[in-house]
Amino acid sequence: MTGGRSAAGVPLRPFYTPADGDPGYAALGDPGTYPFTRGRLRPPHARPGGWIQRELSGEGSPRRSNEQFRSLLAHGALGIDVIGDNPTMSALDPDHPMCAPAVGTTGVSLCRKQDFTELLEGIPLDRITLSHSLPPAFAIAGQYLAARDSGLDPAVLRGSAIQPPLYSEDCSYSTFLPYGIRMRLTLDSIAFSLREMPRFHAFLEDTYYISDGGLDAVEEMSLGFLEIREICRRLLARGLPVDSFAPRIAILVNCRMDLFEEIAKIRATRRLFARMMREEFGAADPRSWSVNVAVHTSGLTLTAAQPANNIVRGAVQALAMAMAGVQGLEISTFDEPFRTPSDIAHQLAIRTQQIIWAETNVGAVEDPLGGSWYLESLTGELERRIEAAVRQTEGLGDVGALVESGYFRGIFTRAAGRHSAAVHSGELRVVGVNEHVVPAEDDRFLRDVAEVRFEPDRAHAERIAAWRPGRSGGPLRAALDRVRAAAADPDADLMAPVVAALDADATVGEITGCLREGQGLPADPFEFAARRQPAEVRR
Amino acid sequence: MIGTLGLDQHEVGAMAISQLLVRHGYEVIYLGRFNTPRRLAAVAEQEDADIVGVSVHSWEFAAYAGELLARCRDLGVGLVFGGSVLTGRDRGDLLARGADAVFGPYASESAMLEQIGAIVERVRVSPAAGARPAGRSATGVPNTEDMSADDGTAGAPGPLSGRVVIVTGAARGLGRAYAAELCRQGAAVVASDVDEAALEEAAAAVGGVPGSVHAVACDITDPGAPATLLGAALRRYGQLHCLVSNAGVLRSGPILRLDDDDLRLLLDVHVTAAFRLLRVIGGYWRAEAKAGRAVDAAAVLTTSAAGLYGFRAEAAYSAAKAAVAMLARVAADELRRYGATVNAVAPAARTRLTEWLPDSPGGPDADPWAAEHVAPVVAWLAGPGARDVTGQVIEAGNGQVSVPSGWQPGTPYPLPPLMSPAQARSLMPRVLAGAASPPGLLTAKLGAGGPGGSSPGPRRERRDGLPRPERHRA
Repeated sequence: MTGGRSAAGVPLRPFYTPADGDPGYAALGDPGTYPFTRGRLRPPHARPGGWIQRELSGEGSPRRSNEQFRSLLAHGALGIDVIGDNPTMSALDPDHPMCAPAVGTTGVSLCRKQDFTELLEGIPLDRITLSHSLPPAFAIAGQYLAARDSGLDPAVLRGSAIQPPLYSEDCSYSTFLPYGIRMRLTLDSIAFSLREMPRFHAFLEDTYYISDGGLDAVEEMSLGFLEIREICRRLLARGLPVDSFAPRIAILVNCRMDLFEEIAKIRATRRLFARMMREEFGAADPRSWSVNVAVHTSGLTLTAAQPANNIVRGAVQALAMAMAGVQGLEISTFDEPFRTPSDIAHQLAIRTQQIIWAETNVGAVEDPLGGSWYLESLTGELERRIEAAVRQTEGLGDVGALVESGYFRGIFTRAAGRHSAAVHSGELRVVGVNEHVVPAEDDRFLRDVAEVRFEPDRAHAERIAAWRPGRSGGPLRAALDRVRAAAADPDADLMAPVVAALDADATVGEITGCLREGQGLPADPFEFAARRQPAEVRR
Repeated sequence: MIGTLGLDQHEVGAMAISQLLVRHGYEVIYLGRFNTPRRLAAVAEQEDADIVGVSVHSWEFAAYAGELLARCRDLGVGLVFGGSVLTGRDRGDLLARGADAVFGPYASESAMLEQIGAIVERVRVSPAAGARPAGRSATGVPNTEDMSADDGTAGAPGPLSGRVVIVTGAARGLGRAYAAELCRQGAAVVASDVDEAALEEAAAAVGGVPGSVHAVACDITDPGAPATLLGAALRRYGQLHCLVSNAGVLRSGPILRLDDDDLRLLLDVHVTAAFRLLRVIGGYWRAEAKAGRAVDAAAVLTTSAAGLYGFRAEAAYSAAKAAVAMLARVAADELRRYGATVNAVAPAARTRLTEWLPDSPGGPDADPWAAEHVAPVVAWLAGPGARDVTGQVIEAGNGQVSVPSGWQPGTPYPLPPLMSPAQARSLMPRVLAGAASPPGLLTAKLGAGGPGGSSPGPRRERRDGLPRPERHRA
């Protein structure tokens, strides 16, 4: 945090008075009323257990991850957030030659319908929410098929799927699919979910993953709004009424260490969203105005040095988010700089949330900081800055062209460099890193836990390879042909053939390969990657 | 040239470092993700890059490191790894296997730039691909003292980062303490012992230090053991810089009672094994030197006060240890030309061989006989500070370190040709009268059985009040 400025650069006064940016109470409104500055239509504290307490999970095979889910639920988690391993996030199958060293080490390995069935076996999908940090079309298709095959009506499913068509290739959710196909998958999977899984948030705007490379709060939310607006415009252009999809939009934001700014950001986001939906997109249903905001606390604020300090950071961030009235919360665990969460780190993070909910009484009152002259001023200023940044970027022209030109990649790259320079210069103070450093030999506490590694799940890759030849060839080939044909036809719906192919035991890797082939690209992304000339990625 | 390896999706580190390098005037070829070692090497060659930089955010790097290290070595380009998941142990391991630099979380900007600058400079003057020096000073591994000062974060490299060291007899006692200290100072240790279970336990106990341990169980008296150990080091790390020949055994008893089996074992373990290790590993260093690669190597043998002054009733052990002291001296002369130093230490420490030494109520800090106090001397001999030290014997332990003076020529007297008994009776007493008295034998303990028994021997008090073994004058 810089002296005299917020982390995003908003100049701060030494103290605030009623004269500082008081918007008037009408601009705030009560919690649960337009413009929802002070809280959503249905406040998180109205739930018996408070906000949805969950932790990022997924590790090894689907069965192993299923055990992890059960353990988290037994510890009192109220939802699940599942992330795929590197092959799954890349839409590759575990038996692909490049995947062996990565199967299951950074998330769960999922590539076929049976994997989703095994992953979700015995999980009460009608009672808990399941958030997917996975390629969205496959997450939605997989959960839909798993529920259907287990006799559960997909209409009861709740949860969310991240839709990252604009930024995924630049921010670690890369599937090597062209922008056009990514956007079509987004629109088609949202439309599918609205029909088949109406309680499910198939349009989760994830500003966490795009911002945790060093973007500030204003950049984070302006890029988030940019993507929301682009997808909304395209859904409207398909003839979908805004009130049919807007209530199914949710936002997963980041939370760094500048607490008041992060709280103000969430309040500003709720207000901006409400105004945008009502006044710009013409939504009439109050549920369309009131956006569901969940949070994942920042991994970038956690340090490999003195990892126990990260427990404190997570607790402080979680408390701030509880006061901001978020609907769901995941704490980046103390071992985040080293690995996906260990069992003990998972448990600590859930306990942190439970302590905040059960012991601090923080949920007794909505928007407890509302009316703070400082917070209201900061909320207003962030709102202005986010909106101005959105307008400025939209003024540059077609968003898709900006994606293709590397415009956003430049933003992410510069932010990463800026953050790293600020840490090195000490401008951004980080305890244990650029101050209060201890020698490596004294920095052992919890490191033994954090540095534990486990082997990739090669047995699962072998299982997939052995299962592959036993599938019935005819229907499978036909299903994949339909995917390929749909990818080649810009007006075709992609979701129906994708769901059908997964149902016919096609793998995610095969389906994605067909999507590429339909676009005249090699099926294997490594072949695609190898063709790149350095000049294409030199920025 | 910067990219990630395999399916590692996180590019933040790669983006940050490329921004930093561009700000400092470097041209960066950014390759993004989904790279294989082959692709990185091919583009590095096509673009005539000086350094390949790999951003690491998942454990996948481990699967590709070997191939990438080999490809970069063949091309003669530098190789740098960076990323927050890289632990101190990864750093030691990658440096030992030939990486030019490894940056963990929040490595300091100035240290990174300095190291990258040095690597570029080295790569540009390097004559040709395939002729990269194997030694530490020439591989561009940076001045680690500067790095230590600059980078105080966890996993900071030690003074021995990038050094690969074989330690024999590493499961217990001195060898275990040596391995731990070498790791603490950043070395990659190939630890060997005949007791596999104890060795595994000792290796597992080394944690939280920059270096790493690779355990290889073998019987050092097996003629094939030196080649096994060298092969293990080269397979894992691609190079070997140091040997610490420490394995030891004690068979006690006066000459009249020690049988052939015990005599043979003492000589096999202490003398023959050390000799063979020097022959095999010295042969590797010679081959490296002859291939035009700079060798920066060190061997540390283990002698004993027994070998310098003699232990009472331990003639065989004393003779074996005396042989080791002389072996170090002559080997130093032979291997100097290939870039290797050879020294010996005579440790004074409580081990299985010296259980008669008094117990200490406190931990190693308060215990002058703890093996941990000897280990830094060995680590120093294995490191850059002792580059010019060779052929020396160093006594260390019990709160003292010293260099004993060895055999010196005495005052010469004319030797009559074919001296008669009468001449001998006249001359020899005069010759002996002019000679200095040799130092007294040490008594390890009272009573029969020699060191390994339970009752402490006669002791003199040191100035600090701590006992030490008595040295008896003959």
